[in-house]
Amino acid sequence: MMHALPLPNAPPDATPSDEFEVIVLTHHRDIHRYLRRMTGRVSEAEDLAQETFLRAYRAFAGLPPDTNHRSWLYTIATNAYRNHLRSERRRKTVHATVRVIRREVELDGPEARALAGEVASVIQTVICRLPLKQRLAFTMRKLEELDYESIGASLDCSAETARAHVFQALRKIRTILDGHATRRARRTS
Amino acid sequence: MTEPHTCTDYESDMIAAASGEAAPSATARVGRHLEACDGCRDEYMRYRALDTAVAELRATAVAPATDARERLLARLSDLRLRLVRYAVFSTPLGRLLIAATGHGIALVEYVGRRDGSDSWLFRQRRLELEADAPALERFHGELMDYLASRRTRLEWPLDFRFARSDFQRQVLRATTDVPYGAVSSYAGIARDIGRPSAVRAVAGALRHNPVPIVVPCHRIVGSSGALVGYSGSRIGLKEQLLGVEGVSVGHRHREAEIDRSKMYAWYRSERAYCLPTCGAISKQPIGAVTLFASAHEANSLGLAPCGDCRPDLHPLGA
Repeated sequence: MMHALPLPNAPPDATPSDEFEVIVLTHHRDIHRYLRRMTGRVSEAEDLAQETFLRAYRAFAGLPPDTNHRSWLYTIATNAYRNHLRSERRRKTVHATVRVIRREVELDGPEARALAGEVASVIQTVICRLPLKQRLAFTMRKLEELDYESIGASLDCSAETARAHVFQALRKIRTILDGHATRRARRTS
Repeated sequence: MTEPHTCTDYESDMIAAASGEAAPSATARVGRHLEACDGCRDEYMRYRALDTAVAELRATAVAPATDARERLLARLSDLRLRLVRYAVFSTPLGRLLIAATGHGIALVEYVGRRDGSDSWLFRQRRLELEADAPALERFHGELMDYLASRRTRLEWPLDFRFARSDFQRQVLRATTDVPYGAVSSYAGIARDIGRPSAVRAVAGALRHNPVPIVVPCHRIVGSSGALVGYSGSRIGLKEQLLGVEGVSVGHRHREAEIDRSKMYAWYRSERAYCLPTCGAISKQPIGAVTLFASAHEANSLGLAPCGDCRPDLHPLGA
């Protein structure tokens, strides 16, 4: 078990608080982006990222020394997001979320350009309609590039199950894209 | 492994292969199947296209969150000032709450309730409290060792932020210097901090010692040897703690006092320590002399046995 407090002989500037600051500097961008992808809103992402790191700071003292910080933070962020969903009861307005994502994407110039690929934009929309666990697993794996062990830890399931969620999401996206391509083909013909 | 028979059997491996997640053997197996099966090859190409589109999405620039990070760091430094971790432990002295900030142990408190909710901490509005026994377990363990006389020093990082004044911090620091098994007085501490007339103020400062046991205010008694007081009205605990360190306490007129006949004595201006029977040393007020329960502690301070009374030849309790 790691200790919360500096050992008597530790130099005063090597306090765990500074260690935590390094963790913030290293991972804040990723966590913020992940939450941004999940919520579709900059302001919510900021609030949830803040909540994630404040929670993490409180738990940091009792953390085993060999903890993978990145994976640990994604777990906290995922929980924060799921609690947020629950408390806001936003599930019923998934479509509203989709609209918000599109609006914000359009507002942020570079992003809109990057998303010019119609396929990517359709995928974005489809992801928002996935069941929550599939959406979380897909986002963590394919967009945030976490390993299945970490995703399993975040979703409180095995790595195998996490992988199954991701593959299920891929199948759904492919099917919907297929329909999309067919419709477009029909329009152009 | 034998080759699967139907296209469905290949599906999972194919999806994995299309996004570069498959093991080499599975990739080879899928490759062999795709050569033979047009339908699956088509399917595979779709998954490849999907993977490319997902990569594009992944690379999508998300506005850097620098401002958000600055705001977070500000919140964190505020939390860091206010966050106090605490835990309540059962000890031979009763329930003890130990609390720590990021700088060290800030509070050791005798509490009644198991959850510590009667602690002084819970009456402070500006603090954020976090019950965290694992983080404090090491201190609990060392404390238990101390109370079982398996350890003579508690070298803990201390944070005196709950002290009431700089004067009290001075008193606490001076008290920390009184070694294990030794006894000094309020007047002695007053002299140590250069305020010889502030005896009552020193007693007041120690009555509200935020970190008892670690800052050993139990080693500080009245000049006459009377135990005087401890953490409110817990004078029995003071006697118990002195007992742990081998200091014997007698009772006269229902009042507990140090039994000087069982302690070595040291004139603060000398380099030697004496038997209690040496000259008029037993008439000196505690504070002018420091008492030791064992010659070992006196020796470890670098003091020599007195050449007249020879405590080395006639040890106490022999």
